[in-house]
Amino acid sequence: MTSFFIKRLLLLIPVFLAVSMVIFAIVHLVPGDPIDNLLSVNSSPEQKAELVARYGLDKPLWQQYAIWLGKAVQGDLGDAIILKRPVADLIAMNLPHSLALGGFALIFSTVVGIAAGAFSAINKNGWIDRITMTMILLGSTVPSFWLGLLMIMLFAVQLGWFPVSGARSWDALVLPVLTIGLGGVALVARVTRVAMIETERRDFVMMLHAKGVPPRQIALRHVLRHALQPVITILSLRIGWILGGAVTVEFVFARPGLGSLLITALNQRDYPVVQGSLLMLAIAVMLGTLLGDVLQAVMDPRVRERIT
Amino acid sequence: MRYTITSLLLAGSILVPASFVAFAASAQEATFVMPTVDVGAPSYDPIRGSKLNAATTLIYDRMVIQDADQSFHGQLATEWSSTEDGMSWTFKLRPGVTFHDGEPFNAATIAWWVPKFAGTENEFMTSAIASVEAVDDLTVKFTMKNPDPNLLSNMASSFMGIPSPKAYDAAGDSYGITTAVGSGPFKLESFTVGQETVLVANEAYAWASDLSVNQGPPLIKKLTIREIAEDSTAFLELSTGGVDMLMSVPTDFLPRLEAAENVTVGQLPGTGIFYMPINTSVTPFDDIKVREAAALAINQKEILENIFGGIGAEAHNFLIGSLLESKVDPALNISYNPDRANMLLDEAGWVMGSDGVRAKDGVALQVALWTQNGTEFKRVTEVIQAELKAVGIGADITIFDSATINDQYRKGTEHQLAVRNYSWANSDIIDWFFSGQRLGYPNVSMWNDPKAEALNAVAMKESRTWEERVANFTAYHEYVLSQFVFAPIYEPVQVYAYDNKITVPETIRGTRLQSQTIVDIAVN
Amino acid sequence: MVALTALRTAVGSPRGAIPAGILVFIVACAVFAPIIAPYAYDIQNLPGSNEAPNAAHWMGTDEFGRDLMSRIIYGARTSLSVAVTAISISVVAGMTLGAMAGYFGGAFDRAVTAVVDLTWSFPEILIALILIAIIGPGLQGTMIAISIAYLAQFTRLTRAQIMALKNETYVEATANLGAGNFHIIFRHLLPNAITPVIVAGMLATGDAIILEATLGFFGLGAQPPTPSWGAMMSSGTAQIFIAPWIIIFPGLAIAITVISINLFGDALIEALDIRNRLRSV
Repeated sequence: MTSFFIKRLLLLIPVFLAVSMVIFAIVHLVPGDPIDNLLSVNSSPEQKAELVARYGLDKPLWQQYAIWLGKAVQGDLGDAIILKRPVADLIAMNLPHSLALGGFALIFSTVVGIAAGAFSAINKNGWIDRITMTMILLGSTVPSFWLGLLMIMLFAVQLGWFPVSGARSWDALVLPVLTIGLGGVALVARVTRVAMIETERRDFVMMLHAKGVPPRQIALRHVLRHALQPVITILSLRIGWILGGAVTVEFVFARPGLGSLLITALNQRDYPVVQGSLLMLAIAVMLGTLLGDVLQAVMDPRVRERIT
Repeated sequence: MRYTITSLLLAGSILVPASFVAFAASAQEATFVMPTVDVGAPSYDPIRGSKLNAATTLIYDRMVIQDADQSFHGQLATEWSSTEDGMSWTFKLRPGVTFHDGEPFNAATIAWWVPKFAGTENEFMTSAIASVEAVDDLTVKFTMKNPDPNLLSNMASSFMGIPSPKAYDAAGDSYGITTAVGSGPFKLESFTVGQETVLVANEAYAWASDLSVNQGPPLIKKLTIREIAEDSTAFLELSTGGVDMLMSVPTDFLPRLEAAENVTVGQLPGTGIFYMPINTSVTPFDDIKVREAAALAINQKEILENIFGGIGAEAHNFLIGSLLESKVDPALNISYNPDRANMLLDEAGWVMGSDGVRAKDGVALQVALWTQNGTEFKRVTEVIQAELKAVGIGADITIFDSATINDQYRKGTEHQLAVRNYSWANSDIIDWFFSGQRLGYPNVSMWNDPKAEALNAVAMKESRTWEERVANFTAYHEYVLSQFVFAPIYEPVQVYAYDNKITVPETIRGTRLQSQTIVDIAVN
Repeated sequence: MVALTALRTAVGSPRGAIPAGILVFIVACAVFAPIIAPYAYDIQNLPGSNEAPNAAHWMGTDEFGRDLMSRIIYGARTSLSVAVTAISISVVAGMTLGAMAGYFGGAFDRAVTAVVDLTWSFPEILIALILIAIIGPGLQGTMIAISIAYLAQFTRLTRAQIMALKNETYVEATANLGAGNFHIIFRHLLPNAITPVIVAGMLATGDAIILEATLGFFGLGAQPPTPSWGAMMSSGTAQIFIAPWIIIFPGLAIAITVISINLFGDALIEALDIRNRLRSV
């Protein structure tokens, strides 16, 4: 088990390097002098010289990359052009909000999704099943920003139950989590339903029925457990999707977080912040996928074999 | 019994906000929303900054404050006088004033402060001062290079808020972002550009001007000022109680706010203009005919009535209506005239194409139209795009973040037209935006004309009295208009709205919502 | 051909016919926009702004007095052309890469798989944002961003198909008869692998429409006055109280289009019975 974990961790390194290379290249791919993309226009020649020295901007490209990466790993992601603060500070301020949003959305999708999927599988083709499947279809085809806007209109404005925007109190989390979560519910419910229906057909389940075990117990204690496996698989693959949903939703709800930080920096052409937040988001996606893989391996020995 | 997770979550999500309501803030805290034109101000450095926001006068005190009737009231200065020829000024300073870092305010501060403007964009405010002499601890004397009838008016602007010399020099380049130390009624606790500023009351404050009723520390102990670029979000925040005051109200929502029972709406005369600078240094706008055509394509009346709900006034020149220098020769005012615009473009050789865009020598009359984010800017820009198309000028819109757009103008000549605004109640704004010394930004028109420079020099430096100044600036203004380096669009009024969680004085003193009024605002 | 029979089956069933019909209508709107739309999409009429749906304007007008229905019809053109073009490019590139990787194996395969795995777990919106940061906002950037964002999916799928097929006896026989590698790939393997990829492409188009709308909502897609469903909703949020139809109708347009694509895609999958082949892990 440990060797699996270590092997997977090592596999991450080349991926991380590749991603960091792309992110590093952004400043050089954007039109304009890289120095202008890292400093504000009013900067004095002394400030420019200091930046050149710090990042080796007069050296060959691969050396610049090495310097940048070296600093990044130590936690120095440069300084924001507009806010004039270290990028690392900005990320530290915003990361907890994104983690909270993503974490709760994940929990919500998982729990509600599994419940919905199990419910419809048990009552297969009943009216509950049909309604759930329709809601699932709607949930996955509506753009998240529209869903967010509708939520704001209905719950925050008309009913006044929750705040319109920001992250000033705990109840400001509810609508954003719902917006991301509902999309995730669709996915999880669909997979759970299919997995449970397929598991139902298996021999050992027939045996349980023959033994006289109550159908409810069979469904929840035996079938569901087996059905969880593909659900975990799909969730671990789609952690990135949850993060993506978070970016849009943070923007719509004006919540602080890595997503808002990234989009604002993109609009402001504040490239040090763009690079820093992209790097953080990339790491988050990779760690999330790793976690999913580990969970899968814990549940299914075959996965462990596959990697070694 | 089986509770589904869903029902538990729902129950939880109702309990949580309920418990927060129980802890309703009893502290003297308030949240305001910055006027939308101030969104994106990059720092609180009044000496070097080119864009400051409404919170600046809360952190810094000024020497004098100007009231709506044009009179000046002392703040950090208690008395002042000048010699007959205007070549020398004497100011008596208020005793007992300290900065937020404990440093004292005295004549030495002024002696440090005035020379600091040299080399900055705001140099024009002190360029007439030859030397500063500290006669005694509380008296300073300015010896002038030339008379400056505008001196007091400049000193009343937020750009002449006085920072603590010690803090200013210590922080170097990052002054104004991570620290900002003044002597004002509020201290800066934190500042996030484009997001919010958090201020706490200065308990040592005891030197408000006579424009304020409250002569001690402000009644609000913690003031958060948020920057919200989208009008609907700001409106929603006020209606749902998320904020207590909107320092500028989007005109779309004015009727609803006026109808709301718990909201009071107030109005102040306008202090600025929306306009469209025209980049004179690139084709096609190096041709004055094309410039005039673009300027005449703008329908000020339609914009006023439909985008701004009829609130405010049309703008036909560069100055606000309350300034004498705005009363130029009526023939020079710029108004909607699409027939003449079409005629000028035909004369200039731009032939109308089948797609509605003109072309000349195979080059289409397609220009770049820049603006910053913010509901009103985006809307006015889209209307102007359509109005330009109606005379055959195609425009591509690019929207920049308000914190960086001024840097974008500085970068180069890629912009051809832009939609922007300014907020300044003095005719020297013409010098600010059109002087050949400031190409890029603030001179977005990239205009450097010898005759204009000559008129500028006379107006800025050779006016000995106020009347002469008015005459000189009117002449300068008229020349600027005749060259069509910009197109006027709209003159807003200042509308503000607040809910019944705070009490605001009936009469707002001064020309804007600034420290002199805000110290009097109480939380109910 | 199998595909045509499947198509007929899919369209024949009510589950497939209705979405198919809706899709045909939407495509017709996009293609024949200048003929169908009652007004031009950029003619402003400020005094008539924010009108509720009425006889002259069936879906009302937006904040500049432009007819909303015409803008939605032209918006179909923007959204569909961007999504279809981007996905088509993505499919063609993905199939080429995937086929070569799956057939030749070795170092090339490992390299391609590494790059694909890299982008596979990343949310498409992030990839799109990075690319737009470099290229700049506008339709061109959006198209490139979307095609790159979905490239991984089609490469993976094709690769899996090719790897499964290349060991069939008929392939070995063809090779023994002296056929060159590329002949085998393009004349024998790809035509059999193509069906699941095309269907996946169709479903991805629905996602691409949503992605284009999201980018438009951020202001990074089509620039004014070109109508795009996402951008219309973005500027419509300012009128949420005065004119909610500005948000509702484009949102409905997106939802109906994407749901129809998904439903028809599902019907096709059933008819072709290729659900297994679409699981490409």
